[in-house]
Amino acid sequence: MSVAAAIRTRDVGELPSRRDEDWRWTDLRGLIRVLPAPSESFAGTLAAGPFDRLAIDHHVLVNGGDARIDVAAGKKTLAALRLVSRGAGAHASRVTINLAAGARLRLLESYESDGASVCQTALTITLAEGAALERIVLAEDHEDAVSVSQAEVRLSPTSDFGQTIVTSGARRQRIETRASHPGGRASARMDGVYLLAGKRHADHTTVVTHDGVDGTTNQLIKGVARDQARGVFQGKIVVSEGADRTDARMGHHALILSDRAEVDAKPELEIYADDVSCAHGNTVGAMDEEALFYARQRGIPEAEARAMLTEAFIGQVIDRIWFEDARRVVRNWAAERLRV
Amino acid sequence: MAAVKQTVDQVASLEKYKHGFVSDIEQDFAPKGLNADIVRFISAKKNEPEWMLAWRLDAFERWLAMDEPDWAKVNFPRIDYQDSYYYAAPKEKVGIGSLDEVDPEILEVYKKLGIPLREQEVLAGVVGAPRYAVDAVFDSVSVVTTFKKELAQVGVIFCSMSEAIREHPELVKQYLGTVVPVSDNYFACLNAAVFSDGSFVYVPPGVRCPMELSTYFRINAENSGQFERTLIIADKASYVSYLEGCTAPMRDENQLHAAVVELVTMDDAEIKYSTVQNWYPGDPVTGKGGIYNFVTKRADCRGDRSKVSWTQVETGSSITWKYPSCILRGEGSSGEFYSIAITNGRQQADTGTKMIHLGANTRSRIISKGISAGRSSNTYRGLVSAHPKAKGARNFTQCDSLLIGKHCAAHTVPYIEARNGQAKFEHEATTTRLSEDQLFYAMQRGLSQEEAVQLLVNGFVKEVLQELPMEFAVEAQKLVAISLEGSVG
Repeated sequence: MSVAAAIRTRDVGELPSRRDEDWRWTDLRGLIRVLPAPSESFAGTLAAGPFDRLAIDHHVLVNGGDARIDVAAGKKTLAALRLVSRGAGAHASRVTINLAAGARLRLLESYESDGASVCQTALTITLAEGAALERIVLAEDHEDAVSVSQAEVRLSPTSDFGQTIVTSGARRQRIETRASHPGGRASARMDGVYLLAGKRHADHTTVVTHDGVDGTTNQLIKGVARDQARGVFQGKIVVSEGADRTDARMGHHALILSDRAEVDAKPELEIYADDVSCAHGNTVGAMDEEALFYARQRGIPEAEARAMLTEAFIGQVIDRIWFEDARRVVRNWAAERLRV
Repeated sequence: MAAVKQTVDQVASLEKYKHGFVSDIEQDFAPKGLNADIVRFISAKKNEPEWMLAWRLDAFERWLAMDEPDWAKVNFPRIDYQDSYYYAAPKEKVGIGSLDEVDPEILEVYKKLGIPLREQEVLAGVVGAPRYAVDAVFDSVSVVTTFKKELAQVGVIFCSMSEAIREHPELVKQYLGTVVPVSDNYFACLNAAVFSDGSFVYVPPGVRCPMELSTYFRINAENSGQFERTLIIADKASYVSYLEGCTAPMRDENQLHAAVVELVTMDDAEIKYSTVQNWYPGDPVTGKGGIYNFVTKRADCRGDRSKVSWTQVETGSSITWKYPSCILRGEGSSGEFYSIAITNGRQQADTGTKMIHLGANTRSRIISKGISAGRSSNTYRGLVSAHPKAKGARNFTQCDSLLIGKHCAAHTVPYIEARNGQAKFEHEATTTRLSEDQLFYAMQRGLSQEEAVQLLVNGFVKEVLQELPMEFAVEAQKLVAISLEGSVG
């Protein structure tokens, strides 16, 4: 059962439903009665993508297809990967990314849809020893789109993996990252931001499995849900037997800014080794009224004060992006969405 | 890492389970197996009215149609429900009226366990010592309930469930199954069909129960399951504190304990429910035997400003699978859950709580401390949810896990569902092992390694122990030390 199989066979029975524990808050079978016809190939011209000006290599997939990015040993590059959906069809994409020993890649990934499409993207990312990857994902989906992105990340000892996923949600959206972490002084940072309004939904799901000694994982996910939006965070850190001296931290913090918005979270720890230090924190609540009062009392109009506080709230995650130019793009993108 | 090395070495030499003796008592059994006739047999044995039998048979029908759940992080061979006795009771001596007529063998059992069944014994200690009333459940039946008369003077009803069904059918009918519906889950449904006894408490409006009430559960018979059902109702502005303790003999086969506990609080009422669970945990090396503790406990805070507090110390059972929960329905009602779960040897525990916020300004607090040692596995699983009407709901959750040894496991699986903008939920969790620095510090000051570990572990669980009533806190503290004896330095 998988979304990819459902798209391929057009059998809704293949879609995950809320009866599947892993999808309890992102029910696709209940939502999609009939899968749309396969997307047609796209012939028109595309507007510029959000990271076009920053990248050296450009990879664009419109309505499905395969892409491959290889970075040779010791090389360094900046790649934009655009996953574009045009129209209201169904399609799946596959992306393979390989970093050889000591290679460095800044991956600027964007999801762009313009209608009620149903799409799935499968990414396989491999980092050899000493490789470093920063993956910045900007998901700008249409409010009627159903979008699922599933990444498998394989780290090697001494590699560095950094990820920041920023999304405004979709009708149903799931961005999933499963990382296998060998320890050996490799480090993983897996952050995320969701800014949801209207009836949008966004699901961040991450699973990090530590299989060796001396690994670190650090996660910070922050989100804002307004109107009738629904934010979902499912994070799981597994420390296998023998993976001693693992240091793993996970934080998820969400603001609910209306009476009808919803935030669901499941921060899980599954630990089979004793010499570890693992922690998670989770908070969900309304905006701090005292901070708001303080700002207003200093002459800042309420709407602006709210936007400012929200920006500061999610700013903590954006500040953790290593690549400064991308940080700027993301910060502007977020500010635009908060000032409505 | 001498401490860790020793830990592993010493797991093998675990302290023996102290309550593992078997008593030879003449007993009545229902025929082995489970079918509608067994349900009728149990009902007839207890002289139940027709409506109760109908209720049981309906539950049995529904149970047949249900599937056994498998989502918990526990592994065990499939239970053969036909290979067990569903009713085992000490043979009744003619007309038990007072304690003197109870089989002396049974009295001996309770004496051995240190449970005071004679009211004067309770008072025999220090002058002014707190008193508590006991309902003693032996296998399937309640053998004796103490202090009934004194409690009746203030209007508190404290008796066995079977007696309540006969003497207070209107209360039982009104509340039974309203908190945990018959078909709530597989084990609760089985319990509804075959439950044999348990305690019933009703505290009338405005009454503060003058003493602690307690039930002591003992499984003695071989191949039998224990299915007790407890119902506690705290009427308006009343208060009651209830304690529960349990032990079982050491046996090679697994025995099922599937209880249901229902609590109801009306406006301004409060129930404090404490459990010290010390069922036989099975053989620490082979994992053979031990109790399967699959229990459904739920409180319904119906009244405004009502409060329920669950405190549990879970040290026994080969498998524990329970989630004492609170449905916070009344405005401003609050729920608390304090838990210490200790697993050692081959034990498995999947436990936690559910705090379901339905009413405005409801509050809940969860403090869970899990300790795993040996080859055991310990999971905290919890749910905190706020419904759209639960404006101003607050929750604070803290779950900490302590790992002792290389082969144990600790998991944290919290679910948080916030469905309105005015709820405020905070959750934090940590998983660590005993700090070498702290151990070193304590030992450097002259404590032996064992004392140092006990000191640290006691500090780790202190927040929960503080919530237990005095006489239980002392027992629980000892139990914590015994459960970990041998596993830690």
